[in-house]
Amino acid sequence: MHEWALAEAVIATVERFRRENGGRPVLSVDLRFGELQNVDLEAFRAGLASGLGGLPYGPEIFRFLSEPAAFRCRACGRLWPLAEAPGIGEEEREAIHFLPESAHAYLRCPSCGSPDFELAAGRGVSIQSVELEGD
Amino acid sequence: MIDPRPEVIARRLAPVRRILAFSSAKGGVGKSVCSVLSALALRRAGRRVGLLDLDFQGASAHLLLGAELRFPEEQGGIRPLRARESVDFMSFAAFSRESAVPLRGGEVSEALLEMLAVTIWEPLDFLLLDMPPGIGDELLDVLRLLPSAEFVVVATPSALALQVVERLLALLEELRLPVRGLIENMARSGADGCVETETAGRGVAAAARRHRLPLLGSVPYLPEIEELLASPDPLRGALGQPFRGIARGLIGHGLEGVV
Repeated sequence: MHEWALAEAVIATVERFRRENGGRPVLSVDLRFGELQNVDLEAFRAGLASGLGGLPYGPEIFRFLSEPAAFRCRACGRLWPLAEAPGIGEEEREAIHFLPESAHAYLRCPSCGSPDFELAAGRGVSIQSVELEGD
Repeated sequence: MIDPRPEVIARRLAPVRRILAFSSAKGGVGKSVCSVLSALALRRAGRRVGLLDLDFQGASAHLLLGAELRFPEEQGGIRPLRARESVDFMSFAAFSRESAVPLRGGEVSEALLEMLAVTIWEPLDFLLLDMPPGIGDELLDVLRLLPSAEFVVVATPSALALQVVERLLALLEELRLPVRGLIENMARSGADGCVETETAGRGVAAAARRHRLPLLGSVPYLPEIEELLASPDPLRGALGQPFRGIARGLIGHGLEGVV
């Protein structure tokens, strides 16, 4: 699963943060999952569990938060959610799951049809906060 | 908010000995043809080779490599596609297929970052980057994210192309980045393959001399190039000799004895 690669990136980043802060114990990590990438959370959690082996904290300290996807048209200003994206089939969803920018190949503004839109929210995986002991 | 992806890029590329960015500030000079044929020539020299098509908006390396566009397999990340002559291959086109991909700069950077963070490369002697034209987002992201990248600059004898390419060379020199040499593509000259065209001192070989860089090879202009590229063995015939030489030049620069 490519969720494991994303989980590995999260662990590596948390570990760097921990090292840069004197190796203080990690108490909690808040992760934000953008709707667009549609990450399989169970697979991601399994990736965390595997990658955290040997570290002094486990997957239970990671909190998963979801962020709805929203697009903003640069041509007409329309803001729309993923649910309003027409013409998205299983193949396209799979492509966007692997590479969210594939959305630009498949989506158009529902108001004006422009391909010139930005992903205003809810792209992929990001670390919202890391709490260390003593914070 | 912290983006976790940059942290794993060095790890993802750890199995890659050398990264060569086939670049040219000018479009239409044959970067894709040169990167793909160099990949094939390096394979025939016994090297393990991957190719990453970074020309997101104009992806075409898959056509030259005869790679079937399909979703990559997932195994701890995404696995490169296997293309002609066992070249490992990754491209935005694996996801966008033949659709147009209208991307702005920030979106290009996001896509590049994602691909670098989740693609699991097997051990490679060379990972060739087929760069888009210009000195824009992809080039700047390669400089930022792939600090070990070396550059191979592709030019044609056209005065227009050369002038733009010289700006790229000047930038790479200013940044003290390793340029392994120039490839002259669509050379209009004759038997020796690297005779300077137009006024003496204005060709690709002259540019190479001015910048104290090797001319890795001179690829002749071939009206039948499309047929050659579509043939089962594009390195048979007129393209073979220059690309064997280019492969030797690339191998000779720092990788002797490593297979």
